[in-house]
Amino acid sequence: MIFSWMHLAIMIFFLAGVIFATAPILASLLIAPKAKSPALFQPYECGMSPHGSAWVRFGINYYFYALLFLAFDVDVLYLFPVAVFYPQSTGFMPFFEIFIFVLILFAAIIYFWKKGVFTWPRRIKV
Amino acid sequence: MINLPLPLIQILIGLIGILAFVGLNGLVLVYLERKIAGHIQRRPGPFEVGPHGILQPLADAVKLVGKQLITPKGADSVLYWAAPIISFAPAIVCFLPLPFGPKLTNIDINVGLVLILAFTGLNVLALCLAGWSSQNKWSLLGAARDISQSVAYEIPLLLSVLPIMMLSGSLNLYEISTSQGAWPWQWHIIYQPLGFFIFFICILAETNRAPFDLPEAESELTAGFHTEYSGMGFGLFFLAEYSYMIVACAMASILFLGGFNGPIVSGWWWFLFKVYALLIVMIWLRWTYPRVRFDQLLNICWKWLIPLSLINLLVTALFIKL
Repeated sequence: MIFSWMHLAIMIFFLAGVIFATAPILASLLIAPKAKSPALFQPYECGMSPHGSAWVRFGINYYFYALLFLAFDVDVLYLFPVAVFYPQSTGFMPFFEIFIFVLILFAAIIYFWKKGVFTWPRRIKV
Repeated sequence: MINLPLPLIQILIGLIGILAFVGLNGLVLVYLERKIAGHIQRRPGPFEVGPHGILQPLADAVKLVGKQLITPKGADSVLYWAAPIISFAPAIVCFLPLPFGPKLTNIDINVGLVLILAFTGLNVLALCLAGWSSQNKWSLLGAARDISQSVAYEIPLLLSVLPIMMLSGSLNLYEISTSQGAWPWQWHIIYQPLGFFIFFICILAETNRAPFDLPEAESELTAGFHTEYSGMGFGLFFLAEYSYMIVACAMASILFLGGFNGPIVSGWWWFLFKVYALLIVMIWLRWTYPRVRFDQLLNICWKWLIPLSLINLLVTALFIKL
């Protein structure tokens, strides 16, 4: 890969973003008060002392949505170069190819729909 | 006198302009949001600091810097402080490929659209880190919600952008702008009304705006993923959110509303006008609609938006061939 001005520009902009974000935090460290009290550093839990750690297990449904996303997003990325070239392509063949591709994508949604992922069940039958 | 190459000077000037634009826009949007919220609820909004409260956001910014930075006990302090920075830094990169006017582009990037989509995706990572590292149950729930929401709405967003690429045959945002004419009936929105509708709903969800602001739903999750952040940590998340709103509205105006093309004289004024009109619509929506339930939110996406955008894609592909 050739290193071009674009890559340099992206790096400079990202670095500038980091500096722009760090500066007010550093300024805050300089001028803000530094009070110390055990209650000040307690995680907020409606005013009570926290009940156990926050790093606990939570709903599996989120995981299923993430899986569904993975299946989709990778496939949609393949459509990007296709879409850019599409206006220059000739004949109806490219349309049918996209049609079949999208149909297979559609099948994924129908599969998960039938499995009942969208109803937020307590337990998903595999 | 050091001789800098011309593209480097161009990049640096663009960088300074964009940093100023982002900072100023944060202030303007905070003011607009509070003022519009006030008037929708039949109260004047901020009024005391300066004429009509115009200096209120500046005072708020100074106050935020002056607040103590608190890391909660038991939190992962490195990730905890990295999160707001990771959230904000990619927002600056997103401004790089935006064509503000016919001669007001930073550097010509032939994959500008993909660049913006890629760097806006990094925000999810930051919110995930923020929620996980702050050792707070509200934050964790907020982060879990944010990830499944952003991830779900990413797909109809990409699918509603694809027909625009088919129409203009390019990923270069400047070329996409110039492929549309000056008058509203020459813009892509005429060919893609459904696409614009889906895109707008998705950017509302991606930027965590009401009625889709479940990751930071204040009445159920305290403040969601940024519950524990004090002072500037919270300020940076706020600034990042507003920056992403501007990027999203700029994308909408470039892809669907003709970008800098406008009736009579095309230029950056039309671009800014469109961006701010969309931003005001976003703020207006926030104070008009109640929040949706979380399973409803995800099901709107999977049951309606994705099938509709797939059909939209196929119909567009068919029409281009006819």
